Amino acid sequence: MRTTWHDHDWQLIHEAPQAPTLHMALDEALTDAVASGQRPPTLRIWEWASPAVVIGRFQSLRNEVDSDAAQHHGIEVVRRISGGGAMFIVPGNTITYSLYAPTSLVEGLTFQESYALMDSWVLEALGELGIRAWYQPLNDITSEAGKIGGAAQTRRGGAVLHHVTMAYDIDAAKMLQVLRIGREKLSDKGTQSAAKRVDPLRSQTGLPREAVIARMVDTFRRLHGLADDRLHDDELAHAQKLVRDKFGTMPWLLDVP
Amino acid sequence: MHGEYKMPGGKLVVIDLDVREDHLAHVQLSGDFFLEPDQALQAINRALEGRSIELDDDALADVVRDALPPGTVMYGISPEAIAVAVRRALLAEAS
Repeated sequence: MRTTWHDHDWQLIHEAPQAPTLHMALDEALTDAVASGQRPPTLRIWEWASPAVVIGRFQSLRNEVDSDAAQHHGIEVVRRISGGGAMFIVPGNTITYSLYAPTSLVEGLTFQESYALMDSWVLEALGELGIRAWYQPLNDITSEAGKIGGAAQTRRGGAVLHHVTMAYDIDAAKMLQVLRIGREKLSDKGTQSAAKRVDPLRSQTGLPREAVIARMVDTFRRLHGLADDRLHDDELAHAQKLVRDKFGTMPWLLDVP
Repeated sequence: MHGEYKMPGGKLVVIDLDVREDHLAHVQLSGDFFLEPDQALQAINRALEGRSIELDDDALADVVRDALPPGTVMYGISPEAIAVAVRRALLAEAS
């Protein structure tokens, strides 16, 4: 049966900065915890401990990333469990969050509708900050001034993972050194420059990153209800094991070479 | 060899492959699409492996469609888009 936001007891996790591989593992561990009923539906705000390129589940490492340039700049490359495109992360430059929900929340919806539903609260929060933002199918959050962020979903068992990275600030020059962004990809985007496609929240709001996040959390809490929680010790241990066995290993990174 | 196709209204579909005696070899599908279950990726690669380079796009799309695990969901990618990417990779080889 289809459920609504208010049928669930939403929990907030917002921990101190964590390593990129641990973030990848937490998404798998917490999605599975919600699928098995061990954890109520949860919003997790990410803090990054170090710079990273996060590639999509099905992206070719070699086609997407200049690994020499990444190494030169001290940027770790990791692969996530959801599809979608590469993200360039510098701590403090992005706002990243995950939603872990039972699939009943998106039951009967098209993929397009489920992306829009899962981020309706974010569009509302951005509106409260004076940014008219909307969903640009398949999986972009955009505004008049340009793209703000990208979303990805994957389903595991009875749970859906929906995670989003929005640009707060951007080092476009470094991004273009590390990511290989082909012309074919940009062919129907109507612009020549990958850097120009993104307009970050810093310039659009004039607010500190923490203030934007605080607004997002407040809006979620008002619309859907939200209780403060923490990452539990057994969840952290499970995620750390996943880092050792999967997300921190070359076979996983090179699964699509 | 390398072929890319931005599916209209969809995502980037990429094929890397070699040609061995007029047959597809070392086929690797990749891109920023969404595909579940994720094992479908390897199923598609395996299905295309060893196919004749003479297959037309319809036949290539059929090969992909027949290889998908039951319940496979594609978002931003399709068997037809994969066929176009294979064709483009083969044209890249010819040039």
